[in-house]
Amino acid sequence: MARTSAAPSFVLRPQAEPSSPAVQGEPRPFLPGPLLAAKALWLCRIRWGAVAILAVFGIMGLVANGWEPLGLLLHDDWPLIMAAGLAAANVAFTMHARSLVRSRAEHGAGLNISIQMGLDLVAHTFVVHFLGSIETYALFIYLFHIVLACIIFDGRRSLAVAVAACVLYAACFTLEAAGVVSPVSVYAGSAGAGYVHRATSTAILNMASAMAIWLGTWYVASYMSAMVRERDLKLAETNRRLVAVQKERTRHLLRTTHELKAPFAAIHANTQLLLKGHCGELAEKAHAIVLRIAARSRRLTREIQAMLQLANLRSEAEDAPLEELDLGALIEESMAHVEPMAMERRVSVEYNPCSLRIRSVRGHLRMLLDNLLSNAVSYSHEGGDVFIECKRAAGAGPTVTIEDHGIGIPEHKLPLIFNEHYRTNEAARFNKESSGLGLTIVKHIAQQHGIGMRVESRVGEGTTFVLQIPRSSCVDGYSRKREEGAHGLSHGG
Amino acid sequence: MAYLMVVDDDEDFANAAATVLREAGHEVDIHLEVETATDGMEQRRPDLVVLDVMFPEDSTAGFTLARTMRHYNDELKGIPILMLTAVNMKMPLGFSENDIDDHWLPVSDFVEKPVDFDVLKSKVAALLKRAASGAPSEKAQ
Repeated sequence: MARTSAAPSFVLRPQAEPSSPAVQGEPRPFLPGPLLAAKALWLCRIRWGAVAILAVFGIMGLVANGWEPLGLLLHDDWPLIMAAGLAAANVAFTMHARSLVRSRAEHGAGLNISIQMGLDLVAHTFVVHFLGSIETYALFIYLFHIVLACIIFDGRRSLAVAVAACVLYAACFTLEAAGVVSPVSVYAGSAGAGYVHRATSTAILNMASAMAIWLGTWYVASYMSAMVRERDLKLAETNRRLVAVQKERTRHLLRTTHELKAPFAAIHANTQLLLKGHCGELAEKAHAIVLRIAARSRRLTREIQAMLQLANLRSEAEDAPLEELDLGALIEESMAHVEPMAMERRVSVEYNPCSLRIRSVRGHLRMLLDNLLSNAVSYSHEGGDVFIECKRAAGAGPTVTIEDHGIGIPEHKLPLIFNEHYRTNEAARFNKESSGLGLTIVKHIAQQHGIGMRVESRVGEGTTFVLQIPRSSCVDGYSRKREEGAHGLSHGG
Repeated sequence: MAYLMVVDDDEDFANAAATVLREAGHEVDIHLEVETATDGMEQRRPDLVVLDVMFPEDSTAGFTLARTMRHYNDELKGIPILMLTAVNMKMPLGFSENDIDDHWLPVSDFVEKPVDFDVLKSKVAALLKRAASGAPSEKAQ
């Protein structure tokens, strides 16, 4: 039959390339809203300093002509008026900025900062006029806001601030030159009443020089700021990707574990059906074969699990979340985990309990203890015993001792037991289900957490693992330093 | 004895588990998908649900079904749930009996895969006994 309509389809598109870094001068985004709000609040705090300086200036000016011997002509009116005006405006800016910080608003902070800068530039122009637009270095106050604008704003907006500074200063100069306002200076000098006369060409040259310095400063500051901001954005993007990768890795690990273990669960389930007679009595030879299938299936499951654990440990970020743990309770959990195997092999596990609180990663510590205890039980003779002790000497971290009286390890093979997939011949003969990864996992976790480990063993007499947990892990006021405690592994016999 | 529902996308495992549970005297229905299991539960209320965690389209579908039964369906909230999982405490991201709570993991007990069928039978029996005695469908002691 002919198709009457197109079949539903899905097109896999290539992944979009990340956007290339913008070139300097192109519009760049503002900083994030909450960060801008914090900067607005910071500007307000600095302004209080300017208000204080103006107020002091005004108060000094109240001493009338007391500063003339020092060559200064101070006034009380304009500084105090400006201080009061700036203070009132600053209160309003501060309240607005605080509300933005509290609400973590994405918008509004940019406008707040823009108005602050605009008001400051106008105020600066008045200060420059009253201090002396040419005679003093007051005109370089504008540099402060030009540099600040380069840090906070993008290239165009910061250039607008620099141009605004030039325009305001030029307006001040022009009004003074045209006689609309009389040039003033805070220096007494030959100015008499403080009015200054200057040559026009000199004044224009001076103004042009100042503007050149401002614009040059803008260029350098905006370029440097752009570089820093670019790096910040890249870091933020990298961080975002790392978090996404971590999530994906977690999801992948869970899914992989399930997908690899599930088929073996089905094999195990069906071998149980056969072995337990749910499908009728099996011939002896068939029973033996099915037993082997079940054993290899179990072994493969454990190997897959161990490989996934090791892969996860190796790829995990170093700073897995720490939590406060009861070491004694953790050991008891581990004992419960190996209890079925211990019962099956009639191995008794004795434990000298302790109650010590430490800060560590629960999952890691459990893996470490599970592996060591499993080995102790696995390599014990039937009817044997395993002894666990946990104690803490004064001035030291806790020590955990796991001792078995099983097959033991030849002395010359002790340095090799932590190697990946290494099993002694004796171990392989005794326990065919070992993956050879358990002690590699133990070693990785011990090194990651600064846990020292000593192994003592004699063939035919058993093996003892002694773990030295760093004192810094104890929950009793010691500072956390992962470098404290014994490092590495030592072997004894 | 009791009417059980096995909800697991692995047909081989589900059939094996159902065989064992039937031989223990229970009536067992299998559902390979969470959606059909929900419909089935509403048509006939099971006495206990054996529930896997991960399903092909949703790796947390088992959790979602357990929470739906406990929090959003008065008919089903009291049914004991025995959860099956291949991701256990040996994996840093796995979970254990300590994680069972009324909100995140509202199940009665869980069994790690590969499943020992003797363990499965004994846990099913214990949960059915608890339910019959009127105890709440919380974590089995």
